Amino acid sequence: MPKPSDCHYIRNFSIVAHIDHGKSTLADRLLERTGAVTARESREQLLDDMQLERERGITIKARAVALRHVHNGQEYELNLIDTPGHVDFHYEVSRSLACCEGALLLVDAFQGVEAQTVANAYAALENNLEMIPVVNKIDLTHARVDEVLEEMESSLALAAEDAILCSAKTGVGTDELLEAIIERIPPPAGDANAPLQAMVFDSHYDEFRGAITYVRLMNGTIHKGQKVQFLKTGMTMDVLELGQFSPGRTPCQELRAGQVGYLICNIKSISDVHIGDTISTPGPDHGTPLEGYKPPKRMVYCGLYPADGENFEELRDALHKLSINDPSFEFQPETSDALGFGFRCGFLGLLHMEIIQQRLEREADLDLVQTAPNVTYEIATRHGGTLYITNPQDVPDTGDIEEFRQPIVQTSFVLTSDCIGPVMQLCHERRGVYLRTEYLSPTRALLVFDLPLAEVIYDMHDRLKSITRGYGTMDYELKGYFPADLVRMDILVGGKRVDALSIICHREDAERRGRAVVKKLRTEIDRHMFEVALQAAIGGRIIARETISAIRKNVTAKCYGGDISRKRKLWAKQREGKKRMKSVGNVDIPQKAFLAVLDTGQDQKS
Amino acid sequence: MPQDEMPQLTAGMESTAPPSSQLAPRAAYIHVPFCAHRCGYCNFTVVANRQDLIPAYLDALATELACISGSHEVDTLFFGGGTPSQLALKPMEQLFSIVREAFPLASDGELSVEVNPVDLTPEKAKLLATAGVTRISLGAQSFNAGVLRTLERDHTGDDIRRAVNLARTFARSVSLDLIFATPDQTIGAWERELAAVLELEPDHVSTYGLTYERGTSFWSRLNKSELNEINEETQRQMYLLAIERLAAGGLEHYEISNFARSGHRCRHNEGYWSGDEYFAAGPGAARHIAGERSTNHRSTLTWIKRLRAGQSPITERETLLAHDKARETLVLGLRRIEGIDQREFQRKTGFTASELLGNSLNQWLRLRLVVFDGGRIRLTRNGMLLSDQMWSEVLRI
Ligand SMILES: Nc1nc2c(ncn2[C@@H]2O[C@H](COP(=O)(O)OP(=O)(O)OP(=O)(O)O)[C@@H](O)[C@H]2O)c(=O)[nH]1
Ligand code: SF4
Ligand SMILES: [Mg+2]
Repeated sequence: MPKPSDCHYIRNFSIVAHIDHGKSTLADRLLERTGAVTARESREQLLDDMQLERERGITIKARAVALRHVHNGQEYELNLIDTPGHVDFHYEVSRSLACCEGALLLVDAFQGVEAQTVANAYAALENNLEMIPVVNKIDLTHARVDEVLEEMESSLALAAEDAILCSAKTGVGTDELLEAIIERIPPPAGDANAPLQAMVFDSHYDEFRGAITYVRLMNGTIHKGQKVQFLKTGMTMDVLELGQFSPGRTPCQELRAGQVGYLICNIKSISDVHIGDTISTPGPDHGTPLEGYKPPKRMVYCGLYPADGENFEELRDALHKLSINDPSFEFQPETSDALGFGFRCGFLGLLHMEIIQQRLEREADLDLVQTAPNVTYEIATRHGGTLYITNPQDVPDTGDIEEFRQPIVQTSFVLTSDCIGPVMQLCHERRGVYLRTEYLSPTRALLVFDLPLAEVIYDMHDRLKSITRGYGTMDYELKGYFPADLVRMDILVGGKRVDALSIICHREDAERRGRAVVKKLRTEIDRHMFEVALQAAIGGRIIARETISAIRKNVTAKCYGGDISRKRKLWAKQREGKKRMKSVGNVDIPQKAFLAVLDTGQDQKS
Repeated sequence: MPQDEMPQLTAGMESTAPPSSQLAPRAAYIHVPFCAHRCGYCNFTVVANRQDLIPAYLDALATELACISGSHEVDTLFFGGGTPSQLALKPMEQLFSIVREAFPLASDGELSVEVNPVDLTPEKAKLLATAGVTRISLGAQSFNAGVLRTLERDHTGDDIRRAVNLARTFARSVSLDLIFATPDQTIGAWERELAAVLELEPDHVSTYGLTYERGTSFWSRLNKSELNEINEETQRQMYLLAIERLAAGGLEHYEISNFARSGHRCRHNEGYWSGDEYFAAGPGAARHIAGERSTNHRSTLTWIKRLRAGQSPITERETLLAHDKARETLVLGLRRIEGIDQREFQRKTGFTASELLGNSLNQWLRLRLVVFDGGRIRLTRNGMLLSDQMWSEVLRI
C-alpha cells in the first residue's frame, strides 16, 4: 500500500468566497471532523488567530493546514487553505489558488452570489482548478437554497447538482463535502523523484526562528538538514526544520511533491524571502524556476507623520517591525513643509491602511498624523520620461506633463435589479464606463463598469450600501493606467501652500472638491487672533475661498489669587493640544484637518 | 521651619509659614464660603444655605491659622467669598479677632471685605468700622431688576445705593462689582448700567463679562439653549464701552477688569498682579509662599474635616521653575494697563520678555496686540480683548 504522502492520496484545495460567507467557520468543521483539533480545543474561526482578525471577525491572512482523513479505508492528506474574503487581500487568494488543484466556492444560502464570489470563481477557473460549489448556512431561516443554486448556475455556469449543501454552523454536510473533496479534486501531478521545485507562496516572521517559508512542492523531495537554494535570490540555506501546519507547526522528516508545508532555514530577515520564488537544490542540475506571482500592488498611499516630530525614529522602527510581518505594505521616508519628517506608506487598500495604522498606534503607542489617502498615478513628461506618483506633491508643473494617467479598475456590482438605475447613475457621475449587465436571477444582477480607482476607493462602498439598503456588493480589479484630464489642486492656508493638503483630481471636479475642502477646513481649524484665508488653487488660479474670522474677544475677566494656578493649568492643557497641531505660518492646523481633503463635495452636488 | 520648632503642629499637618530665611508675605486672603443661595452662574467655593456650619468653620479657620506660627504683620488683608457679610454680628466679630491675631494690619494697611448689598445693616456697618475695614467691595452686579433676577441675586438697585452710602460713612474706598454680557442684555441696557454706577461715584469698579462655567446651572441652561449668550462682537463693544464711560467718569483703567479713582486702587489685588506672595486660609483658598503655590480643598466640609483630624487642608501644591515662574509674572504683569517695566522685569525674574515670548512677540507686535512704550511693554486695547488667547500662545514655545 502506498504511503499517504504519495501524490495519489493528497488533495490540495482553497476555500474561497465573498466576505463573511463562512470560510473560516467551515474550516473549523473540517478541522474537527478530521480530528486535527478536538472539540475541546476548538473555538470559532480557529484559524483567524491574529488579534486583529479576531477583533474584526474577518480573515486577513490566508492560512494553510494539513488534515488527515480516512476515506474508504484509505488515509488521505488534505491541505486546506483558508483565504480572506475582503478585496484588499485578494492577492492572498490568488497565491493560495496557485498551490491547489481544487477550490471550494462557498456561497451564503441567504445572500447568494456576491461580487467577490464571482471574482473568486473566475480566479479559480483561470488557475484550472476543480471547483466544488458549496451552499453554506443552509440552517438560516431565510435560506433560499434553490434561488442561490440558480444564481450560481446562471452567473458561473456551475451545475446545481454538483453543489454541496452545508451548514458550517451545525456541521450538516461536512461528510459529503469531505467525500467530494477526495472524489472530485484531482491529486497533484508531481514527481517526488524529479529535481526539486518548491513554490514559496507565503512567509511569516517568528521572533525565535526567523522567517518561516511556506511552500508547495511541485516536484522533488526536501529532507531535513539538506541544502536548498532560493533561485531568485541565489541564497543557499540549510533546512533546519520542515513540516506541516496541523494547525500548529508540526515538524517531519521530509516533504514530497504535491505536499504543502513550511521550511525553517535560519533566515533572519523576512525581506530575504520572496513570495513566488522557487526553491530547488544548489548546483547545476537544479529545477527550473516556476512562474511565480506578480508582487501585490499597493493601491493606496498616504503620509504618516509622528504627531510629535521627536518621534520620527520610533515611527521608523515601528514601521519596520510591521513590514517584517507584512511585506505587502511599504514605506519610504518623505518630508513635508507642513508636517516635517515622516513616511509615505503604500497599502493594498483602505482596510489594509486602517489595520496598519491601528497596529502602529496600538503596538508602538504612537500618535500619528495621517494625510488623506490617494491612489498612484503615472505621468509621461515632455522629456519622454515616466513618473510614478504616490504623493500629489510630486506632480510637476502642468507645462511638463505630456500625459497624466490614472488607475482604472474593472468594478463588478451585484445588486437587486431595482437598484441598477441609481447605481448606474452613481457610476456615470464618477466617470465610469459601462461594460455590461448580467442577470443572476430574475431579481439580481451583476453590473460591470470601468471606473477610476480613486473614485471607487473613497466612498463608493458606502454609497453602494446606502443605495442598495445594505444588499449591494462590489469587487474590483486593476485594469491599468489610462490618460485622464487630471490636475493637482493645492490648498493655501493663510496664503501659504500646505503641501500635505494637495490632491489630484479631475479638472471638472476641482471646483466642487476645492469648495468642499475649504469649507471642511473652516470647521476643523480653530479661529485665530487674525483672519485666516483658506483657498483652493490650481496652479496660480484660486478656485474656492473661505475665511475663518478672527477672534474678537477672549478675556475671562477675573484673575485673582486663586485663579492663577487654575488658569496656568488651563493654558498648559491648551498647549498640550497645540503640540499635536501642525503650524503653517502662524496657523495651527489640527491633525484631523489633514483628512479634510477627502470631502468630495458629492453631497452638495446632488 | 523645622518641625521641632512648631510644637503646636499636630502630626501630619504641614506648616504654611515661610522658611525663616525668606521674607514673609505682606498680604493675606481669607475665604468665607457662606452664601444664602448659589447663584446660577457661580462656580466659586461656596456653601449655600449652611449657616449652621459657621461655628465649625471658625474653629477650623482658627486651627488653620494656628499652623502659621506666630503672627505676621500684613499690609493688605482681604476677606472674600462667598459672602463674608453673611455672618451675623457675633461670628463676624469672632472672625475678625481670629484673623487679626494671626495677621495684624500695618498702620496704613488696607482691609477689604466683600459685601452683599442687603447684608449691610447699620449694626454691621458699625462692626466693620470698629474692625478697621478700609475698603468695601460691593457685589452689585447690576442695577436692573431683570438682570438681577436672571443672575439670581437677592438685592435691588436701591439696596446698592443704600449700601454705598452707608459704606461711605466708614470705609476709605467703596468698590462695585459689575457683570456685563448677561443673557439677552443689549448695549443700551449696559449703557444705562454704567450710567447708574457713575451716578453713585464709587471709588473703584470691577467689571466682568459673564462666563458660563462648567458645573453651574447657567452652563447646562446654555447648553439646553434656555439661556442666550451674547455674541462676541457685542461683548467686545460692551467691554470697550465700559472702558470709555468709566474713564470719562474719572475712574482710571488700571487692570484688564479694574478701574479706580486716583489713590483707590486695590492694593491687595495689585500684589497678585505683581507676582507678590500672600498667605491664605479658608476652603479653596490659594496661597503663594516661599515660591510655592498651594490650594486648600475646595469642599468646605472636607476642609473642616481635615483640619479637625489634624490633617493638612492643602490638596495641590506646585513650585514653578524659574522659567515658568517668569512667564507667569509676565502674563500677570501685562494684565495691568501700565504693563511691565522691562528692566525691572529682568532684574526680578532673570529673563527678558522677548526671551520668554519668542516668536509670539513678533506676531503680537505685528497684530498690534502689544506695544513698546519707553522701557515698558504693555497691551493695546485689542491685546486686552484677546489677552486670554495670547497667554495660551505664550505657552507654546
Ligand atoms: N447561521 C450560520 N452562520 C454561519 C455559518 N457559517 C458561518 N456563519 C457565520 O457567518 C459569519 C462569518 O463567518 P466566517 O467564517 O468568519 O466568514 P469568512 O468567510 O471566513 O469571512 P472572511 O474571512 O472575513 O471573508 C460568522 O458570524 C459565522 O458565525 C452557517 O453555516 N450558518
Ligand atoms: S453671592 Fe457670589 S459667591 Fe455667593 S453664590 Fe452668588 S455669586 Fe457665588
Ligand atoms: Mg475567514
